[in-house]
Amino acid sequence: MAGLTIDFTDERLPNGLRLVVSEDHVAPVVAVNIWYAVGSKHEVPGKTGFAHLFEHVMFQGSAHVTKAEHIGLIQAVGGTMNGTTWLDRTNYFETVPSHQLELVLWLEADRMGTLLEALSQENLDNQREVVKNEKRWSYDNRPYGSWNQRLLAGVYPPEHPYHHPTIGSMEDLDAASLDDVSSFFRTHYAPNNAVLSIVGDLDPAQARAWVERYFGTIPANPALPVDIGDLSLPPILGTEVRETVVEAVPLPRIYWGFRAPVFGDHRLDALDLAGQILAGGKGSRLHRRLVRDERLAQDVSLFSLGLVGGASVTAGWATARPGVDLARLETAYWEELQRLANEPPTEDELARAKALTEADELGSLQRVEERADRLSMYATLFDDPGVVNDMLPRYLSVTADQVRDACRAVFRADNRYVLTYLPAAVPAGDHVADAVEANA
Amino acid sequence: MTTADGSGSSQERPQPGVPRPYTFPSFQRTRLDNGLSVISVDLPARPLLAGVLIVLGGAGDDPELEAGATVLMARALSEGTDNYDAIELVEATERLGASLHAEAGWDALSVSVDVPADRFPAALDLVGEVMARPTFPASDVERLRDERLNDLLQAHADPRRRAEEAFTETIYASSSPYRHSAAGTRETVEGLGSDETRRALARRFDPAAMTLIVGGELGGLDVHAMAVERFGSWKADAQAGPANTVDASPSTIERRVRVIHRPGAVQTEIRVGHPGLPRRIPDFHAVSVMSAILGGLFNSRLNRKLREEKGYTYGASAGFDLRRSAGPFAARAAVNTDVTVPAIVDMLAELDAIRIEAPTTDELSAARDYLVGVFPLRFETPGAVVGALSGLVMLGLPDDELARYRGAIEAVDADAVLAAARAHVRPNEAAVVLVGDADAFMPALEAANLGPITVERDEA
Repeated sequence: MAGLTIDFTDERLPNGLRLVVSEDHVAPVVAVNIWYAVGSKHEVPGKTGFAHLFEHVMFQGSAHVTKAEHIGLIQAVGGTMNGTTWLDRTNYFETVPSHQLELVLWLEADRMGTLLEALSQENLDNQREVVKNEKRWSYDNRPYGSWNQRLLAGVYPPEHPYHHPTIGSMEDLDAASLDDVSSFFRTHYAPNNAVLSIVGDLDPAQARAWVERYFGTIPANPALPVDIGDLSLPPILGTEVRETVVEAVPLPRIYWGFRAPVFGDHRLDALDLAGQILAGGKGSRLHRRLVRDERLAQDVSLFSLGLVGGASVTAGWATARPGVDLARLETAYWEELQRLANEPPTEDELARAKALTEADELGSLQRVEERADRLSMYATLFDDPGVVNDMLPRYLSVTADQVRDACRAVFRADNRYVLTYLPAAVPAGDHVADAVEANA
Repeated sequence: MTTADGSGSSQERPQPGVPRPYTFPSFQRTRLDNGLSVISVDLPARPLLAGVLIVLGGAGDDPELEAGATVLMARALSEGTDNYDAIELVEATERLGASLHAEAGWDALSVSVDVPADRFPAALDLVGEVMARPTFPASDVERLRDERLNDLLQAHADPRRRAEEAFTETIYASSSPYRHSAAGTRETVEGLGSDETRRALARRFDPAAMTLIVGGELGGLDVHAMAVERFGSWKADAQAGPANTVDASPSTIERRVRVIHRPGAVQTEIRVGHPGLPRRIPDFHAVSVMSAILGGLFNSRLNRKLREEKGYTYGASAGFDLRRSAGPFAARAAVNTDVTVPAIVDMLAELDAIRIEAPTTDELSAARDYLVGVFPLRFETPGAVVGALSGLVMLGLPDDELARYRGAIEAVDADAVLAAARAHVRPNEAAVVLVGDADAFMPALEAANLGPITVERDEA
């Protein structure tokens, strides 16, 4: 099928704000997306969870916008919006009917320029409680809920900032002060630390004029970028790491974590295709063997999370069926990883994986919100929004031998973190509390 | 960084430009001689097509002792056909870069596919194959049945799924299938096998109850002719019958509290509600605006109070699950354990208030403008357009329902919102269902005097 090329312009305002604009008039909608180059990797010990807590504060008002009004205004014009925090970045995005673009730009500029004028202890305290409830909901009060914090801690060493998850710890959240919030804002939320992407039904000259008007006078922070040290890591763990957790889970589950090449490395593209071949749906190797044929597992997965600081992580899991010997499940899973590390996939397997990847890419890029996010992402991480048009050709160029070689480099016994959850033989609940204490 | 130094901030809020007109995409409807309906919608510049074949009749029609049969049948459709085994089928689909997905809900069975336009005919062959010629191999149906039983274990352990389970079980009478999940209960699923799945398909296999919907850049594709070629010879199964009316009776109309005790839980999952409404009601648009104000928008009364004022929760919401018959109405929040009772009191107070206080002008316009404005955003992709049309077909709504949606929402006024709340939100008849650490909140719960309380302890 015909590929899709996304046309865009890429420029910088004098204050350093990077502006990427892409026109598309198919639907009467426009997406605005800002990536700030600050994530949980910028947090220091004692202040974990701060980038995410700050993201919440960004919705608490600015000089001309009252608490929660940002979201209220966007919804009242029929728009959708959110903000998310990740290890490498924080993003904020809105999709609105196209005639409301100027309002969105004004709102984003108002908080980039004047957030501190509206900051109050009351709002900080309120959002701290909201975030603590988010942590309880997403991690602490959920079966297997601690897996990703454990896995990050297993794959990255304590001195590396990927060692801790974006949600942070309850103690650090409790300790966050107004001064911390102010200094975080002054350091990171500056135009020269941001990429603004606008995609959809727009007039580029008009969009640019609005951006210059609302963002143009926000001062740059000349002290950027912040030096967070050298994040490089040995490519492998060097030794196997194992952990077993006994808590209130219904079925045993084994999680795997591996250090993998950084985002942007072509070997990670090959690993993405390996993930498809191994666990992408009912025709995949792990599903066929573990779920369908040997009936050891209830479900299986394998995927890579692309990160730019030192190493990405490739992760996966298999949930055991009741009564299954876990050693057998672990062995079968491992054997399938080894098989792909030793022999290239068949041409048909690779072709199917590429066809699905192509359909996924094209399906995702239909939406202006996704396109805007990708443009911001590639501009922030690789200094080149045009990578949005390179990804599909990169996936399609991966050879069978490259898939094998990437698997061979990553799926090694001395590069694996293995986390096993075992059901506690006590009433549900007791161990949930234990686990929280252990994590905190 | 203040306004004084000209930091780019401006008090003047921009005014909206001129809205580009939007109408829901027009679609063509035809019918085959055997009664199968075809809907096609041409969406320029959308080369990835979405197609779905819908069969009316869903989990709501399962015989009581075979609850879950339709959902299991849908999962088993792609486990093999007369011409393909399961692996050949998935490989053939993947070679097209397509994803083929069969599922069943309360009201319908559907087989859907997303695929580039040039490969659509080949993908439609596969849709027909799984719908008309599935073999339901006994061993694979058994495996899927076991997966569902294991999923029930998972649901029981997960606080939010446990809360949903306990909530529907509490509010519906024992005669109502809505009492349990569409995928059945442990007792019924244990009895399911390939005979039951075969019967579940036969029960509704009637071309007159089927609709093919295709959306995207159709180019020269003649969807009707493709349907004739593939589905034109299908005939109704002798066992096929019309879909039942689903019994949605409430268990009781008394306020009561049910606690599922989980020692040490750091949050309490709260559900407050009662059987709600079917989709086909005259005041649907007023109910939509009222729900948005009560618990749909970010600045809804519930979220404003419980999250933005009190910090009790990551999010509070309320809404109606609109099905062929009356699905549940629920207000929902997960709150930290020590504020459980104050949070329930606040939730009930908002359910009372929405019946007493007419919405403010701001609330009303925020809700209406959101629903009207977000409408084009919802239909950016062929999958979303086809999904909306599927909803019409499954619920028996008229073809112009989507085209008149925005006008009907704009016409909702404060009186209509208040009337909808008074008619359909009934806090005095609500069940309050909690999954959390009862030891931490029982004395306060008893003192709050919300109604008779029952407490159960979950065993692992």
